[in-house]
Amino acid sequence: MISCTEFIWVYSELFRFIEARGGEEQLIAFWKGIADEFLGNLRQYVEEDGLEGMHRYWSHTLGEEGGRHTMTLYDDLFVIDMHECPSAKLIFQSGRVEPYPKYCEHCRWLYPPLLKKLGYEAEMDVIDCERGRCRLTVRKITE
Amino acid sequence: MSNVHKDFHGALSFGLQFLDDAYGPEDVQDFLGGLADTVYKPLVNAIRLRGLDALREHWQTVFDLEDGEIEWHDADGTLELHVLRCPAITHMQAHGYAIADHFCEHTRIVNEAVCRAAGYEAEVEYDQAQGRCVQRFRRAAP
Repeated sequence: MISCTEFIWVYSELFRFIEARGGEEQLIAFWKGIADEFLGNLRQYVEEDGLEGMHRYWSHTLGEEGGRHTMTLYDDLFVIDMHECPSAKLIFQSGRVEPYPKYCEHCRWLYPPLLKKLGYEAEMDVIDCERGRCRLTVRKITE
Repeated sequence: MSNVHKDFHGALSFGLQFLDDAYGPEDVQDFLGGLADTVYKPLVNAIRLRGLDALREHWQTVFDLEDGEIEWHDADGTLELHVLRCPAITHMQAHGYAIADHFCEHTRIVNEAVCRAAGYEAEVEYDQAQGRCVQRFRRAAP
């Protein structure tokens, strides 16, 4: 069994492998597949509780993953400021695997498209991939 | 318990199914076998240095962290790990995640690759639906 404590390195190697076999297009298809077929729990939280559901979802996942971040929930806005992403830290600072340089790109393809389908505008700003700094900003789309 | 996010088992399962569907079992084998040279290189080195003790330590740490249920049965130079409740299968079943058709094959492939690189042999018998397996490890014949 590949332990979930080893998964992030395996994930990164999988990105590299898929890109080598099928190019960037296939890698993006993989990331979209995760959003469409695996992130059902995020979709459910958001359908049930909107921005509060996002806050609950990421409180749980980021709480388990560790790292350092702040989450801000307004009536019409949800923001994650990631100061030190636990995954990026493992990839770029542990020395366990050769860092896959586009590792952080996967979050762009996993979260904003999924949230857009649910009626939200989401921006993923990768500030410094190697240091694990990024910001996810989500707003309710109003007509 | 920090840094144990069991949903990663579901993401791995999705990735293995994606690889199998897109490229077939040979590429799944290539990918997983290659992890012995990268992600599992520290474990390979530890086995070279300390033999089966390093493997026992590795698995005990993993299953303690993930709250799995295991037993050890050793005999005649063979280290035998009985997984009675696999944390990955248990978590995916409990949360309704799709489990890759050949999910447990990854254990066999990774174990064999890691052990081969370290001069050891591994074999795995599993019952994926039940989340149980028996893993055996021994020094490779010269």
